[in-house]
Amino acid sequence: MVLGFALQELSNALVIGIITGAIYSLIALGVVLVYKASGVFNFAQGEFGTIAVYALFIWTDSFGLPYFLGIIVALAASVAMGLLTERLVIRPLFDAPRVTLLVATAGVALLAIGVEFWRSGDVQQRVLKPISGELTRVSVLGIKISDQRLITLVALGLVAALLVAFFRSPWGLAVLAASQESTAAELVGISVRRVSSLTWGLAAFLGGVAGVMAGPISQFQPGFLTSGGSGALIPGFTAAVVGGMTSLPGAVAGGLIIGVAEALGGLSTFEAIPGARALSVFVFLLLVLMVRPQGLFGGKS
Amino acid sequence: MTEILTPALAPGFRPTTAGWAARGAVMTLLVWAVLCYPANFLSPFSASGSDANALAEAAVFAVIGLSLNVLLGYAGQISLGHQAFVGMGAFTSAYVVTQMGQEFYAGLVLAAVIGGLQALLLGLVALRVSGLYFSLITLSYGVMAQECLFSIKELTGGTAGQAAPRPSGFESDHAYYYICLAGLALVIYLDWRLVRSKGGRALLALRENPRVAASFGINVRAATLLAFVVSGVFAGIGGSLLAHRDLAVSATPFQFRLALVFVIMTVVGGLRNRMGVVVGSAFFSLLGSGKLLAALHLEGALETIDITPEIAPLVIGPLLLIVTLTMYPGGLGQQLTPVREWLRGKRFDRKAGAVREIQITDVRA
Repeated sequence: MVLGFALQELSNALVIGIITGAIYSLIALGVVLVYKASGVFNFAQGEFGTIAVYALFIWTDSFGLPYFLGIIVALAASVAMGLLTERLVIRPLFDAPRVTLLVATAGVALLAIGVEFWRSGDVQQRVLKPISGELTRVSVLGIKISDQRLITLVALGLVAALLVAFFRSPWGLAVLAASQESTAAELVGISVRRVSSLTWGLAAFLGGVAGVMAGPISQFQPGFLTSGGSGALIPGFTAAVVGGMTSLPGAVAGGLIIGVAEALGGLSTFEAIPGARALSVFVFLLLVLMVRPQGLFGGKS
Repeated sequence: MTEILTPALAPGFRPTTAGWAARGAVMTLLVWAVLCYPANFLSPFSASGSDANALAEAAVFAVIGLSLNVLLGYAGQISLGHQAFVGMGAFTSAYVVTQMGQEFYAGLVLAAVIGGLQALLLGLVALRVSGLYFSLITLSYGVMAQECLFSIKELTGGTAGQAAPRPSGFESDHAYYYICLAGLALVIYLDWRLVRSKGGRALLALRENPRVAASFGINVRAATLLAFVVSGVFAGIGGSLLAHRDLAVSATPFQFRLALVFVIMTVVGGLRNRMGVVVGSAFFSLLGSGKLLAALHLEGALETIDITPEIAPLVIGPLLLIVTLTMYPGGLGQQLTPVREWLRGKRFDRKAGAVREIQITDVRA
């Protein structure tokens, strides 16, 4: 009886972990993409998503326009923010040390949070209606999964397929070439600047997808993807580290693993520990960096 | 330290009597503004309690800025979890005074000790990886502390927060300002001693070139750990001063945003420039409390576009940061150095504080 209960709880944690982990995977993909291409830890990745949520909210709620058109507008807003960040912040600092760039992206994140606070005024907690929120259609291991969560998983799969296709295209190969040896890439006619724009735009697009998927799950407030209860930036980064920082499949797997690790932290066994979910992500990050700094999926570095 | 002979330093320049008088007048004004104005001593203005409180917070932010400067400026490591260090200091101090019935000063010392201790523990683990990964660990630690440590009821007194009374004799806002000022003076003195100690010189050498430093027998990890521990001690002191300024501590203010504001105020102030960091931190504190805008009569202008004092640092800060990083790498400190050199009896030289390159350099990332 007790065993049965424990098993039920474990399987619940597994399912919940995987469906929350999908968001972390999306964030981790963006982080890895930017890191591969320009060696920058992009702390603004979460804000690319939050901007999309706000754009979608304004589109559907304030203007009352159709939802699916809104998603396109939201993703366009994210990409615009990514391109602007690249043009105004990253490019002037092209030759600066990596930590300077890290401070700069953190600055971009804070600016976005500040602007969200500024524009949202007194009402800070807002609710975005989901794409489709039925709970009855699918249940796995006895857990009902909302359509929103399912769509998130599908979106993750689509994005992963898109990235695979992208890295086989000439543009994707150019990105890889520029990240491995920028001078040589320049010599064979690849514009490193254009590649940089392309990667930031693509990373912002991934951030936007994460935002559009995560926004309706519960309430959102300024900077909700960067920190706070539903913050996905830190789990996303941890996922990227677990995946070895440069591996895109690693980032997807890492996100799902972190989702499960976090859900395990929420088990009733750890009820006495406050904030056990955040603690389990922190411990997991430390363990991975101590035991296997090259990540679970990375090669020897 | 070798002195390079620039025109301003060349022997032979002596300010005239009028020149000394002008320098003396500016010095007197500065000393008056820091020491006399907040207590309405020899002052035509009447600074209110909330003015003194805002200035006290400015002093505390300066302490926190110097704390980050040790880590970011001297050691080249970035902490994105500094709000947790400050928060731990604040809760420790409040706990010692309220729950254990000790004096404020015991709370201050213990907050510093706890600050150093948690930096030591985290550093022993986290400094095995450096650069970008270190920042990620501190970020994760900050969020963990926010969700986990600050939810321990015994330490934080639940959602109501922990009371943090001020020391006897310094209960008023005006008097407590001097405690914060004394704390800032202590931290500036310790920072100055650090740079001149063996460990401090090792840090400076490390920053120039870690490989050369290592080949001269400097233990890279030990020196970086030293910087992290000193940074933790300063943050603990800052937290304690902040707790008793507010008379109570709750977990709400210690969010990730605050850590970003700390980093930005230090960089905008000018890394490795003590005066710049103090001025930059005070600037952001006064911007956040609204006193700066009120003094400049700008609040109305910003209110019309809905920017309240609370969000002003979040909107203005990052813009200043990006301008600093891309155009004026020396930060505010660089802009202020000519004035300082002039006050020391040298010729006013606009280029006195120029730095060669961007300031957060030489990081082993």
